[in-house]
Amino acid sequence: MATSPSTFDRLRIERVVWTMNTRLQDLPRRSRTARRRELRDNLHAAAADVGARQAVRQLGDLRILAAGYVSAEYGELSRRPSWTAAALTLIAVEVVMMLVDHAGRSAFDAGITTAAPDATGTFHWAGIAYLTSDATFTYRDGTHTSVGGAWTPLVYVLMFAGAFVAGRMWRLLAAWQRQRHLTALAADGQRYGDQG
Amino acid sequence: MVPTHDPQLLKGVLSLLLLRLLAERESYGYEVVQRLRELGLSDIGEGSVYPALARLEREGRLQGRLVASRSGPARKYYRPTPAGSQALSEGTESWLSLAAVVHPVLVRRLPDPSTTTLPTATEDT
Repeated sequence: MATSPSTFDRLRIERVVWTMNTRLQDLPRRSRTARRRELRDNLHAAAADVGARQAVRQLGDLRILAAGYVSAEYGELSRRPSWTAAALTLIAVEVVMMLVDHAGRSAFDAGITTAAPDATGTFHWAGIAYLTSDATFTYRDGTHTSVGGAWTPLVYVLMFAGAFVAGRMWRLLAAWQRQRHLTALAADGQRYGDQG
Repeated sequence: MVPTHDPQLLKGVLSLLLLRLLAERESYGYEVVQRLRELGLSDIGEGSVYPALARLEREGRLQGRLVASRSGPARKYYRPTPAGSQALSEGTESWLSLAAVVHPVLVRRLPDPSTTTLPTATEDT
């Protein structure tokens, strides 16, 4: 009869399971959860058979196992870009830029209203170097409206470059090239099949 | 330790072996590994078997069902689908056909080098 693993053995198994979970970030969440549960069960079964230490050792290199799972999930297009990471990066850059822009405008406004609480007239703000264009603040009795202060092209470059890197978009290109290669092979096979 | 079986050769027939074993009796991941080891594939690793099971399931050749376990988490048992049974049938036929050609060649006696006469080289002028 299988004995229940000790707390230490359970911890050893959980460490492997969650390390694997981290390495399976490319899988859809549902699939990742299923693989994690199955791996845990298999490790418990193996631990009851040969001990937890050996059970973990028998798994081999976790990177290879994880690569196997990812390849099993996606087949030839084994590594896919992460659309979620790309979208989160776009949002993150946008949020940071809004905060920075807000802080800059608030500081400029604070400077004007501190010097002249009832300021009236137009004031030129040079913007944040490299990130926003200049803006014109029009004051009337200490309250203001502003025009300008758009984000520079550099912000958009950073935004999309960040999304490209975080989302590992080059995988899309690699997958597309593989798909094209496979389509060409399939077409060749079809042609030779027709000739035969 | 030197593996007793060529991993590349084994990789080619692992899916077939898994389909066959699971057609005989449904099993969960570690049990499949144990059954393969009992067959003599002592160097087979879980790292090869688990992804292979996942791939066959994704391809629709295996289906898994969770069976509640009193001692731990629910256990996933695999068995072939009709597509898996067909793949097993075709794969077996293909393997036996290949083995019928390859095996006789590989077990043929090699000629004794001491009695072998090499063709005489002719001078090309």
